[in-house]
Amino acid sequence: MKRFWFPMVVIGVLSIFIITGCSNDKEEVENDPPLNEDDDTLVVAIPADMASQDIHNHNSTLTESIHVNMYDYLFQKNEEGEIEPHLIEEYENIDDHTWEFVLKEGVTFHNGDELTAEDVKFTLERVAHDESLREHFQYKQIDEVEVVDDYHFKIYTIDPDPILLNRLSRIGSGILPKDYIDENGWDHFLENPIGTGPFKFVDWSRDSEIVYEVYDDYFDGAVEDWNKLVFKVVPEDSTRVAELLTGGVDIALNVPNHEWDRIDDNEGTKMESTTSQRVAMYLLRFQEEYPTSDPRVREAIDLAINNEVLTENVLGGGGVPVRSRVTPGNMGANEDLYDTFNYDPERAKELLEEAGYGDGLEITLNGPSGRYTKDRDVQEMVAAMLEEVGITVNLDLMEWSKFVDLRESFKFDDGFFITYGNSQFDASLPLESMRTDFAKDMQGYENEEYEELLDKAEVNMDLDERAEQYKQAQEIIAEDLPYVYLYAEMVNYGTNDALEFTPRADEMIFAKDITKK
Amino acid sequence: MLNYIIKRLLQTIPVLFIIVFTVFTLVYLAGDPVALMLPEDATPEEIETLKSALNLDKPFIVQFGTYVGNLVQGDFGTSFHYDLPALPLVLERMPATIELALAAMVVGVLIAIPLGIWSAAKRNTGVDVAITGGSVLGQAIPNFWLGIMLILVFSVNIQIFPVSGRGSLMHLVLPAITLGTGLAATVARLTRSNLIEVLGQDFVRTARAKGVNKFVVLFRHGLRNSLIPVVTVMAMQTSSLLGGALITEYIFSWPGIGQLLVQAVHMRDMAVIQAATFVIALAVILMNFLADITYRLLDPRIKMH
Repeated sequence: MKRFWFPMVVIGVLSIFIITGCSNDKEEVENDPPLNEDDDTLVVAIPADMASQDIHNHNSTLTESIHVNMYDYLFQKNEEGEIEPHLIEEYENIDDHTWEFVLKEGVTFHNGDELTAEDVKFTLERVAHDESLREHFQYKQIDEVEVVDDYHFKIYTIDPDPILLNRLSRIGSGILPKDYIDENGWDHFLENPIGTGPFKFVDWSRDSEIVYEVYDDYFDGAVEDWNKLVFKVVPEDSTRVAELLTGGVDIALNVPNHEWDRIDDNEGTKMESTTSQRVAMYLLRFQEEYPTSDPRVREAIDLAINNEVLTENVLGGGGVPVRSRVTPGNMGANEDLYDTFNYDPERAKELLEEAGYGDGLEITLNGPSGRYTKDRDVQEMVAAMLEEVGITVNLDLMEWSKFVDLRESFKFDDGFFITYGNSQFDASLPLESMRTDFAKDMQGYENEEYEELLDKAEVNMDLDERAEQYKQAQEIIAEDLPYVYLYAEMVNYGTNDALEFTPRADEMIFAKDITKK
Repeated sequence: MLNYIIKRLLQTIPVLFIIVFTVFTLVYLAGDPVALMLPEDATPEEIETLKSALNLDKPFIVQFGTYVGNLVQGDFGTSFHYDLPALPLVLERMPATIELALAAMVVGVLIAIPLGIWSAAKRNTGVDVAITGGSVLGQAIPNFWLGIMLILVFSVNIQIFPVSGRGSLMHLVLPAITLGTGLAATVARLTRSNLIEVLGQDFVRTARAKGVNKFVVLFRHGLRNSLIPVVTVMAMQTSSLLGGALITEYIFSWPGIGQLLVQAVHMRDMAVIQAATFVIALAVILMNFLADITYRLLDPRIKMH
């Protein structure tokens, strides 16, 4: 008889785990998280550590979303994505190559030094001229910054640059303190950075947390709701959610779809989301030896995919169907191609028949797995949809770095799945990759009309006309289908109910705009 | 003894060289990191420019030669991701990793050895079956499952321990249990089987026949003689605790080497991968070396060659 009690103990222990751990019963798991134990501290759980203190030498949106709290941009996007002057009092576009700006007076760095035009020159010329910096490519258009006096400066661009203000309101344009860096050296600055933002730097324990405290002399008035701002690194998804449920953090980033209910059902926490700039798509080959070079095959692929099933069923409401990579909120977005999709499996079958693939067609599509939200599920679902119309898909899914090699070496098969963001908030960056000098080698695509439109738009200082040109260009792409667009992803945050927090499409976390209810 | 120590230490040099070569080759073969450092739609021209700025366009042998040349001068290179020297980045994570490894060790030993002894002393009873079964279960449970369950039960439902992070002693409890359970299971089973084997030997029977107290037989004659394999396993496990706590560190956001290494592999941060594997390899070699020395202290019959 003695031997019976061992299995009983094991069963008992397992039952406790299963009942308490896996229970979905609302009554049992209800937590009412306080707004963090320390009420004046806003704690944000982030999935990866900040990349660097050097605002010019990273291209991480996550890192930017931390930095915006301690560095100010000359211009800032509002919640609708419109660009507004921030450190700038007034500005003028003098001619195609010259812009003149006047800085606001009384803006100070965290050491008390006043912001001057010399600081702007120092910041922008560093990133514009140093090729080894990762943000250099976004700023190499800037030829020179001329200081007129303490508050006046001019920016000269190499070519006419209609998106200069977009550049001045994104990663790499936070204004750095020239004198402080000259006196103490760059290494000292990276350990003890200062900016002009609403929060000042306190500490960075790598892979653990980044701590800021409020800057009382902020030019736009000190933040009142928070004394401290902490970004806590929590890489594991379910741990990040557990931190939110227990009140350990107030906002959790990158919450995976399957955790949304757990947060919404819990008293005191909820999910917030908005559409992002990130669009999922398939690139298709145009070279003759590939079946996708036939426009009927590409159209059939587009018509076979039900984008709404992807956004609603696979992503659980985490996306919006699109037919362009430029989403609203970006300059030059074509709204007609947003929140819409082509789906007609019968027509797709007819097109394949016409193209000579009535007996079926086999293609291979590559794609990364584990990189983007539900990427594997989306690709499997698309393969199943194509199967329905008679296209057999060999799915070749792989780890991200291997995928990047395949893509860079152009050795992919008939096409691949990818999602791209757009940190510039302008149509030019997403449309660039379909231009002949890039797309011809990559996938064999070229279209003269498209090329001409982009040539004109690139240097067109008439912004309305420029937006029209980009809209037309997007229609060409939607017709030619070098890319079959699927959906714009949503960005999702788990938040504490006691917060007033509106997610932004640019994924920035401006703590000064987050308040207590 | 001194000769032995010197000889063993000299042996580590070729071993470390082979490790450096292997890791360097593997990371090199995995592709260059530049494509991962630039935005997803960077042009080939941009990639080439950055590649040459970082000296990644040189042939393999030149890159490796430069690397080893710098290495012997104590320079492990610069992290692409953090843009900081790699070795200090790894070393600053050491205290967290050692703290967790020691705590897991304490959890492991405190649970395992008494249970192993109890189980051996009560061989073939319900206690024995329960402990042996429990250890099989302990070895079978994957760390990530146990870690997440412990968080759900003890942090979310019964809010006793903090969910994640490092700081107070309370932060240490759940990760230490997660990491220590596997070790405890191994050590308990080993202690039990060795002790049973030793207790069956002639000298133990003699001691019993002489009427020695049964606790003295169990602890002095039995336990001491059964500990050598246990020490071996513990030494090997400690080194794997230092280098192998990847999952546990990840789940509990524990800022140690494991978390750093996982991130470095994702980013192909060559210098950090190299420095971290070097440090872990060195730790493994040193722990095995210490285990050898400890044998001798426990069993003078083992000769040092």
